[in-house]
Amino acid sequence: MSFLINRLLSTLLTLFLVSLITFAITNLLPGDVAMMIMGTQANPEALEGLRQSLGLHDPMLVQYGHWIGGVLTGDWGTSLIFKAPIGDLLAQKIRASALIVVLSMGIALAAAVPLGVWAAVHRDRWQDSAASTASLLGVSLPDFFWGIMLILLFARTLGWLPSSGFADPAIDFPLALRHAFLPALALGLGLMAHLTRMTRSTMVGILNQEFIRVARAKGLSERTVIWRYGLANALGPVMTIAGLQIGYLFGSIIVVETLFNFTGMGWLTYQALLNRDLPLIQASVFVIAAVVMLTNLVVDLLYVLVDPRIRLE
Amino acid sequence: MRRFLSAKGLVGLTLVVLIVAIALVAPLFIPETAGTRMDMRARLAGPSLVHPFGTDQLGRDLLVRVVLGAHTSLTIAGLAVLLSIVVGLPLGVVSGYYRGHLDNLLMRLVDTLLAFPALLLALTISAMLGPSLQNTVIAIGVAFTPYLARIVRGEALRVVQMPYVEAARAAGTSDPMMIVRHILPNIMPQVIVQATISLAFAILAEAGLSFLGLGTQPPASSWGLMIQASRDYLDRAPWTALVPGAAVAMTVLGLNMFGDVLRDVLDPRARA
Amino acid sequence: MNRRELMKSTAVLMGGAAFFSTFTPSSLLAQETPSKGGTLVWGHSETVQNLDMHQTGTASTSRVLQNVHCSLITVDKDFNLVPMLAESFEEGGDGLSYTFKLKPGVKFHNGKTMTSADVKYSFERVKNPATGAVNFEVFNDVSAIETPDDLTVVIKMAKVNAPFLSRIAENGAGVIMPEGSGDVQGKTPIGAGPFKFVAYEPGVRVELERFDEYFDGPAYLDKVIAREITEPTVRLTGLRTGELHMINDIPADRIEEIKGDAKLQTVTWFPLNWDFVNLNHDFEPFKNQKVRLAIDYIIDKEMLLQGALWGLGRTTASPSYPTSASYNSALANRPQDIEKAKALLAEAGYGPGDLKLVFKATTNYPYHIEAAQIMVEWFKMAGVELSIEQLTWADWLSQVWVNKDFQISMMNFFTLWEPDFLYYSLWHSTGAFNYRHINDPAIDELVSKARVTVDPAARADIYKEAQQRIFDEVHDVILWFRNGTIGAQPAVGGLDTIVHPNGSNLNFHKVWLKA
Repeated sequence: MSFLINRLLSTLLTLFLVSLITFAITNLLPGDVAMMIMGTQANPEALEGLRQSLGLHDPMLVQYGHWIGGVLTGDWGTSLIFKAPIGDLLAQKIRASALIVVLSMGIALAAAVPLGVWAAVHRDRWQDSAASTASLLGVSLPDFFWGIMLILLFARTLGWLPSSGFADPAIDFPLALRHAFLPALALGLGLMAHLTRMTRSTMVGILNQEFIRVARAKGLSERTVIWRYGLANALGPVMTIAGLQIGYLFGSIIVVETLFNFTGMGWLTYQALLNRDLPLIQASVFVIAAVVMLTNLVVDLLYVLVDPRIRLE
Repeated sequence: MRRFLSAKGLVGLTLVVLIVAIALVAPLFIPETAGTRMDMRARLAGPSLVHPFGTDQLGRDLLVRVVLGAHTSLTIAGLAVLLSIVVGLPLGVVSGYYRGHLDNLLMRLVDTLLAFPALLLALTISAMLGPSLQNTVIAIGVAFTPYLARIVRGEALRVVQMPYVEAARAAGTSDPMMIVRHILPNIMPQVIVQATISLAFAILAEAGLSFLGLGTQPPASSWGLMIQASRDYLDRAPWTALVPGAAVAMTVLGLNMFGDVLRDVLDPRARA
Repeated sequence: MNRRELMKSTAVLMGGAAFFSTFTPSSLLAQETPSKGGTLVWGHSETVQNLDMHQTGTASTSRVLQNVHCSLITVDKDFNLVPMLAESFEEGGDGLSYTFKLKPGVKFHNGKTMTSADVKYSFERVKNPATGAVNFEVFNDVSAIETPDDLTVVIKMAKVNAPFLSRIAENGAGVIMPEGSGDVQGKTPIGAGPFKFVAYEPGVRVELERFDEYFDGPAYLDKVIAREITEPTVRLTGLRTGELHMINDIPADRIEEIKGDAKLQTVTWFPLNWDFVNLNHDFEPFKNQKVRLAIDYIIDKEMLLQGALWGLGRTTASPSYPTSASYNSALANRPQDIEKAKALLAEAGYGPGDLKLVFKATTNYPYHIEAAQIMVEWFKMAGVELSIEQLTWADWLSQVWVNKDFQISMMNFFTLWEPDFLYYSLWHSTGAFNYRHINDPAIDELVSKARVTVDPAARADIYKEAQQRIFDEVHDVILWFRNGTIGAQPAVGGLDTIVHPNGSNLNFHKVWLKA
């Protein structure tokens, strides 16, 4: 219990620091927000009026107070470029990104776990080096490059899947999946490679352990030993590593969503950065960091629940 | 195990040596202007004898550009990793060696920075500073620093508890001496392994930033820029994407393979 | 294509027509009766932002909201002012008052009938600095807006403002909104146009629905969905796979290929906008006219057009709308002459290698980046070292436009057909868009004189003189007019009506889908 409280408190503290850093970095950004709102054909006096009304001339601390107060009360302000409440925008875009993040995690795990186990079982043989080389290749190319290749193959050449865009799962789920599949796959390939390597090394470690030898000595079939005893114990660490990759995924979605015109959090963040939409930059950077931290927290807590040492006894 | 290891290590080493050699030597033999020489009659030309890797949308030779790009990419990635070591190493050592409040404070900061995905952090910093070669280095370097600091600190914590360190302390060795004589040499293997892997990630990050227009500036030859430019001509001239893509893949693959082997050699504990 | 062929083809494209559109054969055959119904999916090249037409200055938003809003008067294809929501309009004879008679029974999308109060509300909203209207200076000389009855609006001017009528004919300052609707316009625009606004998902789509009570008769289409797809090749793929009915802005290098595709129709028109290279007159070397002239001689405009835009446009030395009265056709771009440029630079005291310049180009217009890369090579030949700094749109606006912190840059503008707006804001020393620090008393005098000259022919002559001055002094290097393009499925009818005379906005009122 005290572990739980400690972990929660430290998460809260880090969240607070994250908000400070987010605010500090984004306020150092050069660029004229008023200009961005009004466009090139705007009149200088109108611009100055807008700067005043946006509070761009207030002291930093006052601006931070306003901002964090708003965040805590659920009022994230209004996006300057989209003229929409940021809370609504975030809710909408997080759902979109969740779709590809979950989908890519699913794709990656579905491929990486069997492949990693297979490589570990055939350790030091050709299967192992094949899996190892394949997964190295996976992490060796930027995900946007995979994305370009996937567009070329599945959209342009085969015409199976749309090359871009986003469809709302709440309206048309199959269509939403079709739109999400290629970006998810582009994200998933790098992740898959990483998880394969992790699964392999975790499995190798476990297969070397005493209880596996005992199980084998008891005459259990190799299949039972590997899947029931080996993998069951490897899953915890693999899941932990997978969970920690959420951060990596949220970094990658910026490039991948932009490439696929998939309008989720990554796309939103990039648009915000490009357009100097300060409130939106702050909100989206903060939310991404918060999502990463909360995922890590959940993973940590789950890990305690499925700790193999506890289950072994 | 040994045979595979050495094969893999050999391939990795060959790739790394080859690409580093190209990066170092190319600028000496190929004038900078060759990479920006345009031929409006040969735009998006396919591979031929004159242009073995084809040309891009401005009729520039892709072989020349990809070779010069090795220099750009490796310079940026190398400097960025160097920056992360210069900042992260002292942070991690001090934190792990002194522990206590300082450690808590530093690691809290590092944890906070780790909550930001590295690419997001690099993008935001690059957007903040404005794109240039120097700022790309800073953006990537800063984004990688917390990772390095974390690893170094973990290593330092481990080394500090070693019997020989205890012994040296009992003998009255001063802190700076202790760090230089005992801590640093013992964490160096980990730092080298991490640096190799970071180098691979830094090349990917540079490509990503350039791809989004926030990295290297045209008309310089950079792999990320080349891939970005290829986007509009993909179905017509796929080689414009494949050539720089292959260059990135070979470099990163080489570094990863080399890093794996290094880890096995330098850090027996990690050997599975 | 070599240069001679290029010249030939652009000459054909120009054809002397005020506004040319070219069609593939399939659309020429399409002389069928329009049918009603259907949802048209348009792949829009840009992202729509603030939806308040008074507050927004971006071409992307105007392009879509052209279908939602109307103004009192508008322009026809020859740029004559014609009534729209107004039944008639007249100028008092002294340039100090304008009287508008409104069409009776014009409905807004909220069901209200338009009256003079709505007009007064809209104009005062634009005039009020607190609104943050982009074009609020249009109403600077307006002293009173009177509404003697429900269908009459009288605008009193404090002094003569010759361009006033043209400015309120634009779908910006001139947009009429129902009284009191200002607060919701940014999110849910309400107007009197042929389509009602339904929904907007940032970066995804804008959805419009036919407004059956449109004063000029209902449109054919049930709905228009403008999907925002900024990647050119992705847009093209969408058109080819049938996901999209039409796209605007076909990638320049693909236009010939699409034109040759019997399964698609294309519309190209001229001009969409114009580009120029900017020199900061506050930067020491550029204070010298010889240096600016040298830069002009370094740039091969024809080659640059070919390189950056695959020849999709026509070079020009005048930024006036090519068929407008104020276009100075006597001006011709200076040809590339590197030796002359070197000599001029030497005269100005800059030997080879003495000048090192930074070119700030924005990634918002990828072809500007291409153009800059090509220019680097030419500058090198003339002994000038040019390096490129790619800026995001936000950075470009802040560094170049607002802070005027640059040496060389490049920009494009709508083909603004009201010369006062164009010349006063861009080249007058106090002009709102004079980000190059241009301070030329001769220009100031000319454009101020034009502003109070009511006779159209005399005004046009003054602007021609101003262009000559801009050219002689090389205040900027004016490059070209760029073509607009649309690609569409064969099922789309009425494409000949879609482009607004300003060359940028698209109007779906008479567009239809074949069953």
